[in-house]
Amino acid sequence: MGTATQPGIPAGEQSRVWSRRRFLTLIGATAAVSASGILAACGGGSNETSQTTPTASGDQPGGAATPGGSGGESVQGGTLTYVTNEEPDTLNPYLTQLVVGFDILSLFMESLLEADDTGQYGPRLAEAYEAAPDGLSYTFKLRTGVKWHDGSDFTAQDVIESYNMIMNPDFGAFNQQGWEQITEAETPDDHTVVFKLDRVFAPFIANVGGTYIAPASALTKGIQSFKEEFGRQPYGTGPYTFVEWVSGDHVTANANPDYWQGAPKLEQIVCKFVPNSNTIAVQLKSGEGDLAAYVDAQQYDTFVAMEDKRVIETDSQAWYHLDLKNIDFLMEKPVRQALDFATPKQEIIDKILKGHATISVADIAPISWAYNPNIEPRPYDLEQAKKLLDDAGWKPGPDGIRQKDGKRMQLELWGIAGDQQGQQILQVIAASWKQIGVQADLKFQDIRTLWGPEGYQFTETPTACGFSWFNGNDPDNTFYWHSSQIPDSPTGSGGNLPAYFNPYDMQDQIDELTERGVSTIDQEERKQIYWQIQELLHEYVPVIFIYWNKLIFVCPKNLQGFNPNAFTPLFYNVHEWAYSA
Amino acid sequence: MLRYTVRRLLGAVPLIIGISLISFLFMQLAPGGPDAMFARSGRMSDEQLAAIRRSMGLDQPVPVQYLHWLKNLLKGDLGTSYVQNRPVTTVILERLPSTLILVGAGLSIALVLALAFGVLAAVRQYSLFDHIVSAISFFGLAMPVFWFGLMLQLLFGVRLGWLPTAGMHATGETGLLDLLKHLALPAFTLAVGTIAGWSRYVRSSLLEVIHKDYIRTARAKGVRERTIFLRHALRNALIPFVTVVGIDIPLYAVGAVVTETVFAWPGMGRLFYDSLASRDYPVQMGILVLSSVAIILGNLIADLIYALLDPRITYD
Repeated sequence: MGTATQPGIPAGEQSRVWSRRRFLTLIGATAAVSASGILAACGGGSNETSQTTPTASGDQPGGAATPGGSGGESVQGGTLTYVTNEEPDTLNPYLTQLVVGFDILSLFMESLLEADDTGQYGPRLAEAYEAAPDGLSYTFKLRTGVKWHDGSDFTAQDVIESYNMIMNPDFGAFNQQGWEQITEAETPDDHTVVFKLDRVFAPFIANVGGTYIAPASALTKGIQSFKEEFGRQPYGTGPYTFVEWVSGDHVTANANPDYWQGAPKLEQIVCKFVPNSNTIAVQLKSGEGDLAAYVDAQQYDTFVAMEDKRVIETDSQAWYHLDLKNIDFLMEKPVRQALDFATPKQEIIDKILKGHATISVADIAPISWAYNPNIEPRPYDLEQAKKLLDDAGWKPGPDGIRQKDGKRMQLELWGIAGDQQGQQILQVIAASWKQIGVQADLKFQDIRTLWGPEGYQFTETPTACGFSWFNGNDPDNTFYWHSSQIPDSPTGSGGNLPAYFNPYDMQDQIDELTERGVSTIDQEERKQIYWQIQELLHEYVPVIFIYWNKLIFVCPKNLQGFNPNAFTPLFYNVHEWAYSA
Repeated sequence: MLRYTVRRLLGAVPLIIGISLISFLFMQLAPGGPDAMFARSGRMSDEQLAAIRRSMGLDQPVPVQYLHWLKNLLKGDLGTSYVQNRPVTTVILERLPSTLILVGAGLSIALVLALAFGVLAAVRQYSLFDHIVSAISFFGLAMPVFWFGLMLQLLFGVRLGWLPTAGMHATGETGLLDLLKHLALPAFTLAVGTIAGWSRYVRSSLLEVIHKDYIRTARAKGVRERTIFLRHALRNALIPFVTVVGIDIPLYAVGAVVTETVFAWPGMGRLFYDSLASRDYPVQMGILVLSSVAIILGNLIADLIYALLDPRITYD
């Protein structure tokens, strides 16, 4: 290892000259030493393998409520920091499109009714409601003595003004469901509201009962003010008052001592916006963050390993599935059933989601009262799939891909770009389908391309797309299947996308069933109808149902009262939360 | 020089308009639009959808939309954000201070260290120090920012607990010390990536100058080494470097997206990225215009400093 002499450098300086070889040897040695040091440092971080099993951290099957936290005395005061990866687009209750918007608003605002952990509606701002036997009118008795954060009284006028704003065509509310059915709104007295409909609409209670009521004092200032000012500085009747929203950073909320259900124990709640999920884990680990929600299944183990945190898992109303465009070979029922047999659902749940999901057979969640428990998912059976395709006349061609009448069984499998979990799932499905002779080419696009006019459902070739739909609290699934929900153009509205080119074979049947489902308020009768719909969906496979997500929450071990479920916004019972002594 | 400056500034106006036109057209090329999510929300009737598209101006042909935007721009109005329903000027100005703090801190650190490393590496060419600096530079250029940021968070935030891991302030705090603590890691992350490139540039620039004849002459004349270095070598070597820095600084203002994302820093980089994802055209255009202006100004200032440093260069 000699020291080469470098030209152009005075002789006396040569000893300072390092040959490349000498230098690289030194680097190698240093790297080896520091690598072991860094690995040791990392070992304490999020790369720990967790030894604990899910049940050890207090997760709750089926959303059943067990208030957590160490039992015993609770202290007054304290700050809770909620770390979320999305910032609300707006905090206007009728314009926000994001879950985080609805969640943060649940600190400040309330709705007439509230769902319990089985999805049944009970009192909140309305102490009672009554549906007329013919289903054509609803009477809400409002609570007295409730005050808005600006000091004014909560009265029937607030409900009427909220209704007016929601239905105002110049306002552009995001969701008018339920409210658009109202033909007359009356206030016999200050604390009673009567809504009249001209046809029975069963989801009315869930839709109208679950909408945040806004203060007349803000609504009467006009549309522009309500959009701009209220959207940045909301206020309501809720347990916390709005303090500030620093764009891109956080929203702060202080306890409302005059809250009608009693002053909350936690003095302050801060919602921090941290866009990167790794950073969220780091924040919870270092203690800068306390609460996280809707965590990825793949991060479950990271959070379970945190000693001062508790992980809670509940069922959800989100179903991950593959839309199958009703075109070409995808129009044949045996082909769709074959694809269903060839989709390795349990493997996806076990390997990619680490067990944090439930297989789905239709579009109504197991936690819903309308769920049909008698439908068995198709098993993962490649032989059965191949037989169905053979019988339907699709024979493997020279390259292994099935053909019939000169057409190949090839489609594009779309997914959301940047969604790592989704990408893995689609890769597994494509590989499995290859084995039965179906070629699926993967394509990942961002969400606004997916839903825009160049999206998968509007191209002229066979496509499938993997994504999740989130159900509302009412089992009404008109949006997904009814023929009125087929968009009439690539920029039109509606959720029945697979039927854009051709309606389903069962379109008439399902139209009739979905219409009947909302036309009666008898829950037993509705249940039978939705059971039939689920059987129909399972038989015809308009989309391939894969799994129901689980909602994963992380909170401090010493937080009492935190009891999330799939039917309510995150802070629905925040006035009951407290740190234990 | 004054006439030159004025001429440059006047020439910037058609340049910015040209940039805005091209950007506007590119934006329209991206598939999907700001109304895409509304269409799939399940709650919208076609009339409502049409009303929303009208309020966003999307029902008009593209050239009309652009001219409308341009007309407002000349009045100083950047329009209203589709997503936030607020004036774009407000949206951008909210994020501007935090961006300036982050970029200012990060690039100041980078400037000082890049100069130090570059100079020392050039002066002690082929020494151990030179090799180390080169190795670190290559590492810095190749290293992914989100990984490095995460490692810093784990080390200083979790393991050692010395520094906060994300955000600009702790809840309720507004003090300078609190800000500096939160600034440390993201500014350092930003700096490391920049030092890598800049120090190489300084080094090679300086090496080129050191071997020039006039340096040898000065040395032969007996001028002190330090005077040679400061007055002759460094000053001439810095000239091209100034141009690089002049353009880099405004670029970082909008380009530090990954650093801002990892450290949840409420800056303009994230705002720009979010506006692209949500197709919030007014905000996109607003930021594009702002950064074009900043880059043009940065370039101009760099050129003016160039003239100050190099007596051979005069503008008229």
